[in-house]
Amino acid sequence: MAIYETIYILDSLMPPKDIETTNQRYSGIIKDNGGTVRKLDKWGKRRLAYEIQKKQYGFYVSIEFEGPGNIPKLLEGDYNYNDKILRYLIYRFDKYKLKAMERDQEQKPLSGRTEVPKNLEPTAAVEVEEEVLTLNGDEQVEFNDKDENFEEGVADDVDTTENAEEDKES
Amino acid sequence: MKVRRKRTCYFEENDIIYIDFKDDRLLRRFLTEQGRIIPRHTSGTSAKYQRQLAIAIKRARHLALLPYVADFTR
Repeated sequence: MAIYETIYILDSLMPPKDIETTNQRYSGIIKDNGGTVRKLDKWGKRRLAYEIQKKQYGFYVSIEFEGPGNIPKLLEGDYNYNDKILRYLIYRFDKYKLKAMERDQEQKPLSGRTEVPKNLEPTAAVEVEEEVLTLNGDEQVEFNDKDENFEEGVADDVDTTENAEEDKES
Repeated sequence: MKVRRKRTCYFEENDIIYIDFKDDRLLRRFLTEQGRIIPRHTSGTSAKYQRQLAIAIKRARHLALLPYVADFTR
């Protein structure tokens, strides 16, 4: 049985109760068809890179599951009927991902701390959001810097020309 | 003669096996300002990883983590 991951973007204006019920609904579909949910991860509300159905924000949820190959089809069928789902993606873990997972598992016993990653995960998600915000800020700052440099460059040019004129006069 | 700086594959240097499409901050390094994928001969990414990178970027675009087009000159 292969490992899959499905990520869907819900309308961010949905009440938290409805989000919970939809998550339960989809993990229920996986369990009913002979699959097992490995991880359910709520990324939370994030800004979309572009508008989808006139919406700027979306609530991201990812479910990692293991199961037979008919589950992705069933999930897709259900996603298409749900108006609250803006986008979805289901993909099977490829050989590179599986290799990376193997390596992570090998490294974990060496460090001898299995509890640390669990604690880190929620904070990591928060950090990502903050990083995105700061990224935007940095970009603006960069543009400002460029403008200032440009103006300074112009100012320098003016100074030199004035000096040249003074030289000529003297 | 142009003096060319030696380019190396970012993923091989940093020992990254799998390029995660959820890490949009990493993927942005391989996009132009307009949001296009930077070609291999410019970024220096090896063929093996450029293939993976392209898939990762396309998945991230589908989930609105990265823009298809980021054009601010209107």
